[in-house]
Amino acid sequence: MGALAAAIAIGLAALGAGLGNGMIVSRTVEGIARQPELRGALQTTMFIGVALVEAIPIFAVVIAFMVMGQ
Amino acid sequence: MQQYKKMITRQRKWMFYLLAIFVLGAGFTEYLSIFLGLLLGTVLSFYNLWLMQRKINQFGQALAENTSSPKGIGSFSRLATAGLAVIIALRFEEYFHLTAVIIGLMTTYVVIMIDFALFRSRD
Repeated sequence: MGALAAAIAIGLAALGAGLGNGMIVSRTVEGIARQPELRGALQTTMFIGVALVEAIPIFAVVIAFMVMGQ
Repeated sequence: MQQYKKMITRQRKWMFYLLAIFVLGAGFTEYLSIFLGLLLGTVLSFYNLWLMQRKINQFGQALAENTSSPKGIGSFSRLATAGLAVIIALRFEEYFHLTAVIIGLMTTYVVIMIDFALFRSRD
């Protein structure tokens, strides 16, 4: 059951992070393609967005490894 | 571009300050395993931060200059780093406090959020 719990935790977190990251990156790509001179500001926004999105899957990985390690 | 470079420098500076505080805590206080755990988590978290800054910069460069195709933003490597931290903490349980390692792993995100909150109007 531990392996199943770990798999569900990582899988669902990765699903959410994938969707979130995809939305952030697609908008940034659009923005930089339209206005390359705004690259710095768009990159900064993308950086903060990616960081916030990825905090949760990292927690999920930690919990999954803890469940597996017990 | 200047805005991104300034943000990178500020975040690195804060991470180095935090690392220095944790080293001092490990050296001069009685809570050795807690500070060692914080150090382990923060070092790997700093690697995550560096990787994220580098990958996003390469991504933006590839988009803006149109010289090469963008290569992704390295999410999997960052998740693997978190896994590595937990594996090390579980393997050497007598040296590293597990909760401290997890708090250390989250240091980067706290630094990014505080930096964003403080400097978003200034740049």
